[in-house]
Amino acid sequence: MEYKQLGHQHPLSKMISEINGIFSEIGFVFAEGPEAETEHYNFDMLNVAKDHPARDMQDTFWFKKEDTKEPMVLRTHTSPVQARFMESHKPPIRVIVPGKVFRNEATDATHEAQFHQLEGLCVDTGINMGHLKGTIEYFFSKFFKGDVEVRFRPSFFPFVEPGVEVDMMLKNSDSKLANKWIEIMGAGMVHPNVLRNCGINPEVYSGFAFGMGIDRLGVMKYGVDDVRNFYSGDLRFVNQF
Amino acid sequence: MKVVHDWLKDYIGDLIPSAEKVEELLTFHAFEVEGREEVVGHEVIDIKILPDRGADCLSHRGIAREIASITGIPLVFDPLLNQERLPLFSDIEVTIADTKACTRFSAALVNGIEVKDSPEWLQNRLRALGQRPINNIVDATNYVMYAIGQPIHAYDADKFPQVDGTWKFDVRFAQKGETVSLIAEGGKQEDRIVTLQGTELLIVDGSSNCPIGLAGVKGGAYAGVDTKTSKIIIEAAHFDAVVVRKTARRLGIVIDASKRFENNLSQGLVPHALRDVVELIIKIAGGTCEGSVDVVHEGALRPQVVLHVTHVNALLGLCLTKEVMVEILKRIGATVEDKGEFLSLTASFERMDLNIPEDYIEEIGRIYGYNHVVSTVPASVPLSEMNVRHYYSEEVRKTLIGTGFSEVITSSFVAKDDVQLQNALASDKSYLRSNLKNNIGGVLDKNANLADLLGAHDTRVFEIGTVFSKEGGSIAEHVSLCLGVRTKVGGYTAKDDVVLSEVMQKLEETLGTKIVCEVGNGTVECNFTEVFSTLPIPTAYKKVDVAEEIVYTPFSVYPAMTRDIALWVGEGTESIEVEAVINQSSGDLRLRTTLVDVFTKEGRTSYAFRLVFLSYKKTLTDDEVNSIMEEVYRSVTEKGWEVR
Repeated sequence: MEYKQLGHQHPLSKMISEINGIFSEIGFVFAEGPEAETEHYNFDMLNVAKDHPARDMQDTFWFKKEDTKEPMVLRTHTSPVQARFMESHKPPIRVIVPGKVFRNEATDATHEAQFHQLEGLCVDTGINMGHLKGTIEYFFSKFFKGDVEVRFRPSFFPFVEPGVEVDMMLKNSDSKLANKWIEIMGAGMVHPNVLRNCGINPEVYSGFAFGMGIDRLGVMKYGVDDVRNFYSGDLRFVNQF
Repeated sequence: MKVVHDWLKDYIGDLIPSAEKVEELLTFHAFEVEGREEVVGHEVIDIKILPDRGADCLSHRGIAREIASITGIPLVFDPLLNQERLPLFSDIEVTIADTKACTRFSAALVNGIEVKDSPEWLQNRLRALGQRPINNIVDATNYVMYAIGQPIHAYDADKFPQVDGTWKFDVRFAQKGETVSLIAEGGKQEDRIVTLQGTELLIVDGSSNCPIGLAGVKGGAYAGVDTKTSKIIIEAAHFDAVVVRKTARRLGIVIDASKRFENNLSQGLVPHALRDVVELIIKIAGGTCEGSVDVVHEGALRPQVVLHVTHVNALLGLCLTKEVMVEILKRIGATVEDKGEFLSLTASFERMDLNIPEDYIEEIGRIYGYNHVVSTVPASVPLSEMNVRHYYSEEVRKTLIGTGFSEVITSSFVAKDDVQLQNALASDKSYLRSNLKNNIGGVLDKNANLADLLGAHDTRVFEIGTVFSKEGGSIAEHVSLCLGVRTKVGGYTAKDDVVLSEVMQKLEETLGTKIVCEVGNGTVECNFTEVFSTLPIPTAYKKVDVAEEIVYTPFSVYPAMTRDIALWVGEGTESIEVEAVINQSSGDLRLRTTLVDVFTKEGRTSYAFRLVFLSYKKTLTDDEVNSIMEEVYRSVTEKGWEVR
């Protein structure tokens, strides 16, 4: 007998499909990398100082020393894939990296020790902050189905300079998100040290990078009240999508 | 960092924008503002200082300088430009054993002071910051720290032993097992005695080699100032940020002083802090400064940076003239030499964050305003690569969802497996999963008895996710695909595996390849990385439409109750009519009605419905549901239908 009921796609994989659909249209490659990452790629290559607090046990899950020849962590962001991709490819580079990441922090309704992040990277000659702004507006306009305006506020991340916090406002939409500024992601121009570490000459090339939580996009888009639901395997959650 | 608006006015003068305006200026040109409130008659702004700006902006003067840079209003008073220094003498001797960990140590002697309450204005400013005033000496050291960012410590000179008429301070690393007594923490009476590992930097009384404070982390009670104190030694020093941070973290100490040292302060702050605090103490406690020492082991010179004018616009996407750039750079306190096509720049000493051209480009961008950046979508280019894993994952999802499977994403952390983490979140999360089927088994257990609630015939789930194993001195991982079926609520039956075998066959048809896997106990798992690696590389993704906005509804955490009702109706009576009567009479707690059986016999039709009840407030009792069902029976009987 043919089974009549349809199953449901998990909202995170659904959003990742949509994200890839939007970015692939303007040439962003869906790149990925390991979740068990070396300290080298997770921190060193990304200009995170040797003694940076982020490397502490409080923030990062480390593998046992006896299990690995070089220090390894559960990646704390999808950014190491930037470095891996830049090492193995020559500009022009356009990638998105959706994937699972891990932080050693107590869980509650708005925090999970595992969550999904979306990384974006574009490296070429003449890339500037206008391209960053334009790309983010392009993406959100499609993702939230409306006109999206983006604004930057100063911020700091070791792998970009300048670094910005990005707010978006959805216009011409009936969405509950519309007509207010919403803090949405961190971004910036790729730090020259990161380009140099990856064998790209910062005198010739420049790039932008951005990173945001996909779980958070789900919270915004669907009104999910507890991020732990994404990983609970509870069909009362999944079947609503 | 909290700042008091009228304190900022000391530096900016009468032209200072309102607190509301300051909040807006900082938000878009410098830092996030976390709040603004009135405290003891002062407007207080809570600012989230960015990690690279802790060196200069954890201070009122630093924030005032930011506002000046953003608005172009010059500072009327800048203590860091004051070149005056305290007179030097040789009554205090300082020996620094590790000149990398401590690059500067200064101290001054003030005699003839009177310890009492601070004047009202000072107490008020501290209270506005949420600080409790203690006495004029301690308050003065805190005040100058909040003013310019440099922590300061005061000792009672008469309690501090002298050797041949001099006070001796040593700065050295601890010896393993050595102890130091720290000032009692808030709310506690006893001093905290800390046993040291040898990695901590200490301030030591050179007369006895007795540790008197954890350098940069916390002071000791040693030679503490009390109401009888009349002669004090004031210390201001520079300690290595990493050494301070490691000790502070290990001991769980987070105080305003340690936070500032952790942020890599400029050692150039030291003489300004010492001068300002001595001046303030003389003003509010009397006395005279008898002299000071200043031991410096490394210059505080900022690097000279070459900034090409074209580079600025190329990175920001702006068309600024060189004049505009120079104007902004001067406002932030940099020394600018115009060399034509480029500028030669040196930051003011306290700006430890300005080291490369891009750092200055950021300054120009944010001060000028990122709102001027014009959006440009990069021209579309063809995709240079396909993500094979993603493409075939989507194919698998389509097939499985079409056969009733729902997708789950489960935790990567498990209670027991091969790969253990060094630092786990909890004992039941200390390993990483080596397979998905254990998790999927758990998902089936959890969801099987929800089938009625969900209106499903049975429970079908799948996951595509990463699993981990140890391999040759590294951690190996691959993408796994796992399916699970539970046809009976009670638990696994052989039928589950039959369903799985059929579905796997369908997957093999979809992907056009054999999949190596073993079906058993209601789950099947395969190495999906191996599967997709053998498949042809696709040329384009299938089109994905962005889904309409769905409003998610939090689900009830209480269990659902199920009741079946079967009844005879006249032939030709539609099920929809019967269902409507049932639904109307079954109240708000009914979640779902499902037609589960229909047959017609001798001019009559039998319908069987399953009703699911659920409360968002409590676990329903049998009695409650039974009384609802009584109401349903009554209504259908009224219609002339016969309950079977």
